[in-house]
Order: sequence, then C-alpha cells, then structure tokens
Amino acid sequence: MSDWDKGRRARAARIAAGARFAQGKRVDARDATALLEAVIQPGDRVCLEGDNQKQADLLAAALIAADPAVLHDLHMVQSGVVLPEHLDVFERGIARRLDYAYSGPQSQRIAKLLFGGRIELGAVHTYLELFARYFIDLTPQVALIAAVSADRNGNLYTGPNTEDTPTVVEATAFKDGVVIAQVGEIVDELPRVDIPGDQVHFVIDAGRPFFVEPLFTRDPGAITETQILTAMLALKGIYAPYGVRRLNHGIGFNTAAIELLLPTYGERLGLKGKVASHWALNPHPTLIPAIESGWVEQIHCFGSEVGMDAYIRARSDIYFTGADGSLRSNRAFCQTAGLYACDMFIGSTLQIDLAGHSSTVTTGRIAGFGGAPNMGSDARGRRHPSEPWIKAGAEADPGEKAALRRGRKLVVQIGETFGEKNTPMFVEKLDALELAEKLKLDLAPIMVYGDDVTHIVTEEGIANLLLCRDADEREQAIRGVAGYTDVGRARDKAFVQRLRERGVIRRPEDLGIDPLDADRRLLAARSVKDLVHWSGGLYAPPSKFRNW
Amino acid sequence: MSAASAATRIDDALAQSWYEASARQRVDALLDRGSFVEFIGPERRETSPHLPLFDLPEQFDDGMIVGRGRLDGASILIAAQEGRFMGGAFGEVHGAKLTGLLRAARELRTPVVIAFDTGGVRLQEANAGEMAIAEIMRALLEARLAAVNVIGLVGGRAGCYGGGGLIAACCSALAVSEQGRISVSGPEVIETNRGVEEFDSKDRALVWRTMGGKHRRLIGGAEIFVDDTVASFRAAAIALLARAPALTRAMLVAEQARLETRLDAFGDCADALDIWRRLGIADAASVPAMSYGEFDALGARITEVIHDAR
Repeated sequence: MSDWDKGRRARAARIAAGARFAQGKRVDARDATALLEAVIQPGDRVCLEGDNQKQADLLAAALIAADPAVLHDLHMVQSGVVLPEHLDVFERGIARRLDYAYSGPQSQRIAKLLFGGRIELGAVHTYLELFARYFIDLTPQVALIAAVSADRNGNLYTGPNTEDTPTVVEATAFKDGVVIAQVGEIVDELPRVDIPGDQVHFVIDAGRPFFVEPLFTRDPGAITETQILTAMLALKGIYAPYGVRRLNHGIGFNTAAIELLLPTYGERLGLKGKVASHWALNPHPTLIPAIESGWVEQIHCFGSEVGMDAYIRARSDIYFTGADGSLRSNRAFCQTAGLYACDMFIGSTLQIDLAGHSSTVTTGRIAGFGGAPNMGSDARGRRHPSEPWIKAGAEADPGEKAALRRGRKLVVQIGETFGEKNTPMFVEKLDALELAEKLKLDLAPIMVYGDDVTHIVTEEGIANLLLCRDADEREQAIRGVAGYTDVGRARDKAFVQRLRERGVIRRPEDLGIDPLDADRRLLAARSVKDLVHWSGGLYAPPSKFRNW
Repeated sequence: MSAASAATRIDDALAQSWYEASARQRVDALLDRGSFVEFIGPERRETSPHLPLFDLPEQFDDGMIVGRGRLDGASILIAAQEGRFMGGAFGEVHGAKLTGLLRAARELRTPVVIAFDTGGVRLQEANAGEMAIAEIMRALLEARLAAVNVIGLVGGRAGCYGGGGLIAACCSALAVSEQGRISVSGPEVIETNRGVEEFDSKDRALVWRTMGGKHRRLIGGAEIFVDDTVASFRAAAIALLARAPALTRAMLVAEQARLETRLDAFGDCADALDIWRRLGIADAASVPAMSYGEFDALGARITEVIHDAR
C-alpha cells in the first residue's frame, strides 16, 4: 500500500522533537536556538520572516547561533534580506541557497557574498512572484515569523504590520510545515486574531516588540524645488489629463512632493475628487494633508509605518482596520491590488537607459525589486475598463478597433536628470547589465522594463512613450527629457523638436507651468512637525525625523 | 481641527518661515522695505579661492551677505549666512566679509545684526576659516567695547555650530527659534569622538532638547525665544537692539558668576529633561511638543530674571 502522508508524519516528528523545549506551544527565549536545531533539518527550505518592514529579529539571532554541524545547507526563502543576521546565516555556513525579493539595507553585503560564492542565488523576485512560488516550488518546511502578541492557544495578533505573515503561514502550515512565532508578549485575550492558533506550532515570548524600520517617512523639509517642479508636471501633465483615481506611489521625494501638492497645487487645478482617491499604498505620513483635505477615499496597505498607528485608528473610513481598530495590512493582497486594480504606478528610479529600462541596481549594490515591478508593469490579465487605462491604450495603439484594444497601465518614472551626488539618472548602459555579466546571471536585474514604462518625468518635461512609434522615437523622447546629462546632450535637436510638436515631449511651458513657481511654499507641509499639526497630533514621528 | 482651518493656519505661518527662507529673503524681510544696500555683492564675484581646488562649486557671494539698511527707521549693518551653500560654513572670503563689516561697525558706531546659519568652519579651507573665526571674534568684541551692539539671530537649517557658536557667544544678545540650534561641537562630532553612548546624533529629539532653541532659552543661553516667522525675528532684533548690554568688566564678572551658578545647579544632570525639571517644569517631557505660545508663556514664568550675562 502506498504511503500518502509522509509529509504529515514528518511534521509530527519535527513537532515532537521541538516539544522537548516547549510547555504546550510556549518555548522560552533561551531555548530558541535549541528549538530551531531540533525542528529544522539540514537542507530545509526556511522562511525567516524578513518583510519589508517588520523583522523576526529574535529568531534570526537564534538561527545564527545554531551549530553549523547540526544545521547546514538551508535554503532561505524570504522576501526581505534586511537584518545583518539574514546574511550571517550564509557566512556561518548554516544556509547555502537564497531566494528573495528585496535587500535594501544589505544590498552591498549581499553583492559581496554573491561575488564571493558564499550564497548560491536562486533568483531575485518581485514580492508576488516569490509568494506565488511559496505555493508551487518554494514551499517552506519551517517558517519563523513575527507577531505582536499571542494567546495561550497560539493565536496571533500581528498588529498593523501584518505584511507577509498570512501568506507565509498559509504556504507552510497547510503543506506539512512547522510555524514558529516570536511575539512581543503573551496575553489572555488578543485584540484580534490574525493567524489562528491551529496554524502555529511554537510560540516564543521575546519580551519586546519585533524590529521595524520607518521606511516610508519622507521629511518634507528635504524636498527640493526641482522635485516640486517634477511633481507639478506630473499632476498637470499626467494625473489631470488621464483622470487617475486609482494608483500607487513609490517612496521617493518626488512622489512625496506630489502628495504634499494635492491640497495646494492640485486644488488650484480643480483636481480634487477627480484624481488620487483610491490607493494601494503604505501609510505615508506625507499623504496626511491630502487625507485631511478630503482628497482620499480609501487606502489599502502593504504594511504599516512607524508612528502612524494612532492616526490610522482615528481614520477608519480611509484605512482597512480590524475589529480592534488597528490597521490590517497584507502585502500579498496589496501587491495584487496594485497590479490589477490601479491605473497608475509612479516612482523614482536610479538609472534609465535609452530603451526606457530602469534599474535601482548600481555597481556593487543589489537592492532587489520588492514590489515596484508588480506595481510598475502592465497587467496582461486585466479585463476591466477604466478611463485612464482605455485612454493610455488608445494612445499606444490608435489603429486597433476599440473593443479589441488592450488598455495600458500608466507606468511613470519620475526624477531629476541629476540625482543624488549629481549622478545622472540617464545612462547609455545600465549598471544592472554589467552586474549580470559579472555574476553570469541569465537575467539582468531590471526593475521596470522599457516596454512597460509609459511616461518619464524630469524637470525638463514629460516624455510620453505611449506616443512613440519606433525605437528611434523612443530614444529621442528619452534623450529629450534627459537635460544636461551626456544622454541628453547627445539628442538630435530637430528630432526632439518634432516630438515636442506632436506632444510626445512636453516642456513645462507647454503645460503652462513656470518653473519659477516651483516653490517650497506650495507644499501643504514643509516639515515633519507640520504633518503632526495636520494630523491633529495623532501622528507620532520617530525621533530621527524630529527637529524639535 | 478642520482641514480648511489647518490649511490656512499652516499656510499663513509658513508663508514667512525664517527656517525656510534663504539668506537674501531673510535680509529683505528683516529690514525696512527696500532699504538694503549690499557690500561686495555677487556682481563682484569674490568667490572662494580654495573650493576650485577640490572641484567644488563656488557661489558669487561665498554664502555671506553683508550690507547696510534700516531697521524700524534706525541705521544698522547686517550680515546673513546662506545655510544652503556649504552648510553656511566659514571660509576665507565668507569670514573676511563679516570681519570687515564688524570693523566698519566700530568705526561707524552702527549696530550690527547677524543672521547665523552655519555648521562652523569650512573643512576645505580650514586654516583660513579658523583664522576668520578668530578675526571675527576680535572685531566683534572691539565693536562692542566701542559700545556697538551686535545681535545674533539663530533659526536656520544649519543651526549655529562650531566657530559660529563661538561668535554667537560673543554677541550682545541672541534671539533663537525652536528650529535653531546653538552649540560648538555638533551632534555627529560628539558621537564620533565620544561614542554613541555619550550622544546619539540620530536621536533628533535628544539633539533638539540639548542644543535647540527651547533649551537655550530655558537655561538663559538666548535672550528671546521667537516664533519661526520673519516678522517674529524682526521684532526680536528691534527689541534686543534697544536693550542689549554693554561689554564691560562688570559684565564679564557677572557672566562668569552666572556660568558658575549654572554649572553648580545643573552640572550633574544627564539630560536636558533633568534640567527642566530642576527649573520647576513638572511635565518636562511636554516641552518639545509645546507650541510657540505655550512655550513663550512657560519661558516667561520659568527663566530666572532676565540677566544681562548669558
């Protein structure tokens, strides 16, 4: 008779091995490493919850303390490589293979370990892609997750930063895996249950909250006038004509400027109620003035943001909240929302080439993708119409019969021609290509492919790539907004002039925008303290953003 | 708070923010309308001789604007640092312009207002910058000995650090806003030299309660606490020019005595919060979040008798 429940029996054996350190499901923090050594087996696929924001930091530290003779050759499958410990497991010889999505703060070290052969790289994914693979060919045997609190039955409250947890647990717990949670405290009654206890096998009381970083707070005080000009161009040249109501913003200063211009410049343009009402977005503090001014109808969040909890609680008409009142975020659902239900993604990038490919990889840094490629790509499976989608589709393919024509998502790259440290945003060849050659990767790490990009906005104007009919036009449209960079100076002046006459390139003056009007006084808030005022004192910014 | 009223309030207050304004905007708004006459203006292109060696951009006024004008009808000399150029740092030309202004003030017996916005000496021209600080302090004290008042205003992005902090300490009187910071060693310098345990420069709440305008006012390091508006700074400059103390031997003795008293009173405090509690502020933790009006009322109640000596 064949054996159909090997996985289930293997899990029972793992749980029995771990039970030696547990009272019920509860394991003392001092026994965390011993528990992991008992439950995890060499070669296992392990998801060590590293999300964009929250980190299972206690479990990460416990894992690197394991004996490499006991635990080795692990295959880490996690969306965020964020803490130093996430790479220490490779240096210590505990883990060997890595599949991930985002590595912001560790981008330099991960590059070094890849070059040095310490990490065997599966692939750098987008969030949705990695989550999808959790259910097909990268299902974890063990998930090490983080929550705010647990009750005695192992039910978990993840708090506002639910993020990846339900997805990770779903894939692990329902496919014979073991789920180990670190929690900030154990309580009699949870505010709400985010993860049912029957999906959680061990709980460790860390006695403190998990580590979480404020990644989405942009200080209005640091927004430049050039960024304000790009924001004015975007509002008047893209938001207004397409009527973009459903959207996602990146986390750069240009889009923060747009958020802060909605109640001032946007109001003057008469756009209130017509644009920017429905969002897939983390709780950006810079959106507070627009929310308070009645621009925003609702926001679904990937994760939360440090300091925003009380504000979110008091604005449940805007945010998704649980019965307890606190935010419920969910990265997988929000990524899906951004992919399928948003008509626009607008974000900054570090490099754009002549085909419009853009990348945040620069020499020696592999930051990964996170969610931008999900937001910043045309969803080929989309079937519902909307005004901006239809209009963009018509611009791209005016010859096709309307009823058969695909719409297009607006994918907008915004930035200054010269970015930080005067580095040009436009390049002939992406650093990502050199990296792919050096590491012999099959694919260069491209954040947004050129054929998905519809507009590029710089202080020089807007290039509408939907209206370009061939590669030459595309190249000259890009050169035409590349200003004084080498790429910009190599433009064909007459060609660019013709594109401008066709409206492919629109300069500030073509849109009736005087660059001298781009003034910081246009920002609805010019400091973090202004944001606190706007929130009626509900926003509590972390100390590193204060100047009082 | 309704959205509309919030919008109006924030818009009004910030439309004339000192912190946000450029040095030239500050000068223009501070002085009686149209009265400013610049000395060695940008058209003279007196740029730094050092910055090109480092392939760094120059600015035609080297980040220092000096000139004369009228304040509430009275003739004054004025200097303003541009904190957005090299962090308002003192270089050779930048410093020489202020030295010259202060020497002229002594000759002309005309009071001076200095709008500080500086991180200290420009590292690329360190020796020239350090010498400039010494020359400025000498010229400032010589002007004061000739009964010329020199008023310092602090509320810019770069704060008032390094040599700027030393020069500010030589002034007849200071006005500071919440955003303004006055110190010699900056937060990063302290952290680098003494370790993060001594001072965490990333803890901005700590930075502000140690060096910020509210703390400086509470311990008597600045004579007037002003709101972050150009109008408020202008009113403070007018008030301080009218009442600034002369630099005399008696004044120096009083200043020394006050410093000793301050050290005795607060020398064992590890944090500004401890000092504020000792000053009699029961809810010390609430001070940073206080609005200008609330804090001004508190300051009037708490500060020891207004002392000529800082």
